Amino acid sequence: MTDDAADIADLADLADPLADLPKVAHSERNLIAMARALVAPAREDVAPMLWGSRDMPKLIGPTAEQLIHDALSHAWPALWRRGHCAPDASLSGDGETVRRGRAWERHRPTPLTFSNATLLLLRWLVATPFSASRTSYQHLRAQTLTVGDEVALYLALDASAGTPAQAALAAQPFAYGSALAWLGFAHLMPPPTGPVDFRTLTAGAGAIVVESLAPELAARWRAVELTKRKLIGADKLIALGASQDATLDAFQAACDRAHRRDLALFVVDAIAPLLARDLAPAPPPLDSQVSLSARSAARLAAGSLIRALLRWRDWDAQHRATRFVDDGYAAAQHLLGRYEVIGIPGGDRAAAWLADLSALAPSATVTNPREPA
Amino acid sequence: MSRAYQIRVSESVVRTVHVEDGVASPLDLLPILPPDRMGDLLGHELEQRGFARDGHTATRTDLDGIVITVDLATAMVTVKLGAKADVAETIDLTARVGNVQAGEAALRDDAIRQLDDRIADRTEQLRREVTKKLEDKLADIRRELDEAIGRTTVAALTERANQLGSIQEIAEDEAGNVTIRVKV
Repeated sequence: MTDDAADIADLADLADPLADLPKVAHSERNLIAMARALVAPAREDVAPMLWGSRDMPKLIGPTAEQLIHDALSHAWPALWRRGHCAPDASLSGDGETVRRGRAWERHRPTPLTFSNATLLLLRWLVATPFSASRTSYQHLRAQTLTVGDEVALYLALDASAGTPAQAALAAQPFAYGSALAWLGFAHLMPPPTGPVDFRTLTAGAGAIVVESLAPELAARWRAVELTKRKLIGADKLIALGASQDATLDAFQAACDRAHRRDLALFVVDAIAPLLARDLAPAPPPLDSQVSLSARSAARLAAGSLIRALLRWRDWDAQHRATRFVDDGYAAAQHLLGRYEVIGIPGGDRAAAWLADLSALAPSATVTNPREPA
Repeated sequence: MSRAYQIRVSESVVRTVHVEDGVASPLDLLPILPPDRMGDLLGHELEQRGFARDGHTATRTDLDGIVITVDLATAMVTVKLGAKADVAETIDLTARVGNVQAGEAALRDDAIRQLDDRIADRTEQLRREVTKKLEDKLADIRRELDEAIGRTTVAALTERANQLGSIQEIAEDEAGNVTIRVKV
C-alpha cells in the first residue's frame, strides 16, 4: 500500500468512529439495555423501559447474545455492592469452621450460570406494555431456573419497585418457582400452594447470593413489617402472613439442614431495630365488620417475622449449650455473637409481642404502639 | 306485530341460617409442674368458676350463649358464639315481555337471585350481631382467665414448694403478689 492509500484508509476510519462497534437490531438493543439496567440500576433507569413495549423477534443474533452475556457477567460485583462489600463471616457447609473477610475473600470464584430463562424474562420485561391494562400482559410460564436466572429475576423485581411491573412479575408462574423471589419478595407473592424448596440457596452459588443480599433482605423484611402497622384489611394480612410464614419456615429449615443457620441471620438484623424501638408488628384495629375469627387470624398472621425470630431464640439456646469440646463450637460462638443484638431480653419481648397478637383481647399497649420517628 | 304482555312473578323463601364466630388463643401457663399436673390444677380452678370438666376439656356456656372451652392438655382456650334464625323473604317482580314463557323464566331467575342476596345480607347482619356480642365479652373473659391462671400458678408454686421442703408461711399482698416461705 502506498503512503497515500494508507492515509486515505486512516481518514476513512476517522470519518466513522463507530465502525468497530458491535451492531444489533433496535429490539435487541432494548434487551441489552434491560440486562444492563438490572445489573446496574444506579446507571440505567429501568422505569422508562418498562412503560413502553416492543415487539420482540423470536431469535436474537450472536452479537446481542454476547452483549447480554457481557452485561450479566457483572452480576457478582453487582450483588456484592448490594451487600456494601462489607467484611462478614460465613459458616462452612459442615458447620465446623467460620470464614471471615469480604465476600470474594470468603469464597472461591463460583460461576453464576444464566440459562434461556433469563432471556425469556428480559424479553417479557421489554415486550410487556406495563402502562396498559394488566389483562393484556402475556403469561411468563414457569421454567427450570438456574441460580443466575433467579438472580436476574430478583434484580428485576427489585428494579421494578414502584411500577406495575413488580406486582405483575411477582404474579407470574415464572416467579412462583423461584426460591430467591420468595425470600426477597414474599410480601408480593400469593400464598404458596406447596412448600417452597430452598435447597439451592443454602449451598454453592445460591448461598453466596443470599449472603451478598443479606443486608438488603433485612431492610426489605423490616420495611414490610412496618407496613403491617397500617394494614386494616384482615384478608390482606392473612395472605401476607401465609406467604411470609411459608417462606421463613421453609428457609430456616433448609438452612438448619445445610448447617448454614448464618444465612438466616437477616431475620435477626431485620427485627433488631424494631425491638430496640419497641415497634411491634401489631396492626391497627381491623375492620370491625369482619368476623372476629378472621381478625384474630389476621393478627396472628402479622407475627410471621417474630415466629422466625423465636426459632432463632431456640437456636440461640442450642448455641449457648455448645461446649468448647463439642462439634460446631466455632460456628456456635459466631452465631451467639451475631444474636447478641437480640439477646435473651429481646427474645422475651418478641415472645410477648406474639402472645399479644394471639391474645383473646389484645392489650392496649401493643395495639397502639408508638409510631416510628 | 308482536304483542307485549305484562307478567308478574312472586317468590318467597324461608331458610334457617346458622352463623358462628369465635377465637382461639393460647393461655400463658408457666411450666412450674409437669403439663398434666398444670392442666389438672387449671381444671380445678376453672371448675370453681362454673366450668364443667370432661377429661382434658373444661367448658362453660354462659347465659348469653357464649361457649368457653379450655383444652387443659394444650392450654388453648376457644371462645365461640353461634346463632340460629329463621329468615323469611318475599319478592314480587313485574315486567313487560314479548315472549311470556321465556320472560317469566328470566324474571323468576331474577327473583330467586334477589332473594338469595337478601338472605345473604340478613345472614351477614346476624353474623355481625354475633361478632359484636362476642367482642364485647372478650375483655371480661380474658380477665377472668388471667385470674384463673394466676390462681393456678400460685397453686402450682405451693405444690412445688411442698416438694422442696416444708412451707412456713404463705403471704399475699393487696396487689396479689404471693410470697411462700419454705424451710428446706
